[in-house]
Amino acid sequence: MSALAHLQGEFQEYLLRGAPAVEAQVLGSARVPVATRLGIYAGAYRSRLADALAANYPALAKLLGAADFATLAVDYVRAHDSPFFSIRYYGDQLPAFLAAHEDYTAAPVLAELARWEWTMTCVFDAADAAPLAHTELASIPPQRWARLRFVWHPSVHRLELAWNVPQLWQALSDDAARPPATLQAASWLLWRRELATYFRSLSAAEAAALDAARSGWPFAELCELLCEEVGEAQAPAQAAELLRGWLAAGLIVGTS
Amino acid sequence: MLRYPALGFGLGLRVDHYEAILAESPRVDWFEVLTENYLVPGGKPLGYLMRMRERYPLVMHGVSLSIGSTAPLDRDYLRQLKALAARVEPAWISDHLCWTGVAGRNTHDLLPLPYTEEALAHVVERVRMVQDVLGRRILLENVSSYVAFRDSPLTEWGFLAEIAARADCLILLDVNNIYVSSVNHEFDPLEYLNAIPAERVQQIHLAGHENHGDYLIDTHDHPVPDPVWRLYAAALERCGAVSTMIERDDHIPPLGELVAELEQARALAARTLSGGGAGPQRPQTTARRAERLVAGGT
Repeated sequence: MSALAHLQGEFQEYLLRGAPAVEAQVLGSARVPVATRLGIYAGAYRSRLADALAANYPALAKLLGAADFATLAVDYVRAHDSPFFSIRYYGDQLPAFLAAHEDYTAAPVLAELARWEWTMTCVFDAADAAPLAHTELASIPPQRWARLRFVWHPSVHRLELAWNVPQLWQALSDDAARPPATLQAASWLLWRRELATYFRSLSAAEAAALDAARSGWPFAELCELLCEEVGEAQAPAQAAELLRGWLAAGLIVGTS
Repeated sequence: MLRYPALGFGLGLRVDHYEAILAESPRVDWFEVLTENYLVPGGKPLGYLMRMRERYPLVMHGVSLSIGSTAPLDRDYLRQLKALAARVEPAWISDHLCWTGVAGRNTHDLLPLPYTEEALAHVVERVRMVQDVLGRRILLENVSSYVAFRDSPLTEWGFLAEIAARADCLILLDVNNIYVSSVNHEFDPLEYLNAIPAERVQQIHLAGHENHGDYLIDTHDHPVPDPVWRLYAAALERCGAVSTMIERDDHIPPLGELVAELEQARALAARTLSGGGAGPQRPQTTARRAERLVAGGT
């Protein structure tokens, strides 16, 4: 290993794990000793990653409060190095970390709130795509409809939540009086239209149809699925209504 | 031509100022954008970036190139960087003379290199590779540092000058970083400045720092302080009318305050470059010592 590689390995081990070997390679001065000098980097490393977590999880940070969020950040930074070129992606494992960590399992709403915030960020900067116009869909010949599959906007995300997390998140984001955390199971759809982020809850039938459609089911099979969900009589009208809604919201960007 | 055409006086583009810039079209000649903020698939960041691009020249400033790392160059990052540049058409692209991590880790910090022949040759080779991929000269910025290494026989200024010459790249001279490091490592900032090849200085950064008594930390959260203004005047005397921008990354004030600070830079540059003598007096002994150091390469 080259001298440079050796030095960089030791320096990084100091930052990540506090390994002291690099101290022997650093020059101190009368005014500023080695420990102070290296400590500037160690402190900056931890605070930069903690700041990134706070930026990615602002509502969670508010809910926990500064002191508890700082404790969480210290624990997470110790457990998770960053493999990312951009600090934007640091914190991707926080929902799983909260769900598994013994200090937080008693409050599962925290992991759900983290999952919600991370998903919102993914919606925020997902790739752009032009929504499919109603006229484009209308021009598709009837014989193609049975096998028609939809292409979804890259920002479309789905979450199944057990808690009233969206309401909590909204109150935290608006600095409004926040509701108590309560169990309130629901299916959620999150997406972006142009630059604005949206979310809404879904009925069981819509959630089932949307999930099937996003996993590539053709239109005929979606209609069959809706027959099971809402009954044969209601299914055609329901399918048409869902499709209209998806188009109007800009969820669909193409067909195949 | 070694350098790209100069752009005048710019600011770092920050999210807090997007709407104010679009609404007020402030007197700012160009903006520097933080590359990584826009290496995302789409949405608002890229939407705003392209709206800014319609109104102002932009330059791209990255923090992830890790040009001094002994880990392999991140080809995926370079590919994304090149794709963003094709979209933004920046006047130039810069990053830092540092390393950010090894072994698949990113510390997200601009870590200092030892000033050795080995590190020099390593960086030169990688700058050439990056410039080949991007098809253009890049700028490397001097970073603030808080440690010096035992095995580091070259000076930082000799190291930077030699890399620029051998790799045929340009320099983003951060005057605040020179000042911060000069206090932390007890060297004469003018000695540093006078060793820099003026013809390769494409851009100057101005910023503020935090004074901890025995050392300074490069926080970019204060206005440009007097010693940095004085060093800036000296840099202009040496390098001429170089594109200059003010960086503020924390405690970001309203846009108007930064535009006013930029006006100070304009005025100082006008006075200095018209021979108004705003710059500091440089002791001859320092200049001679600097020349000897450059000639000796150490």
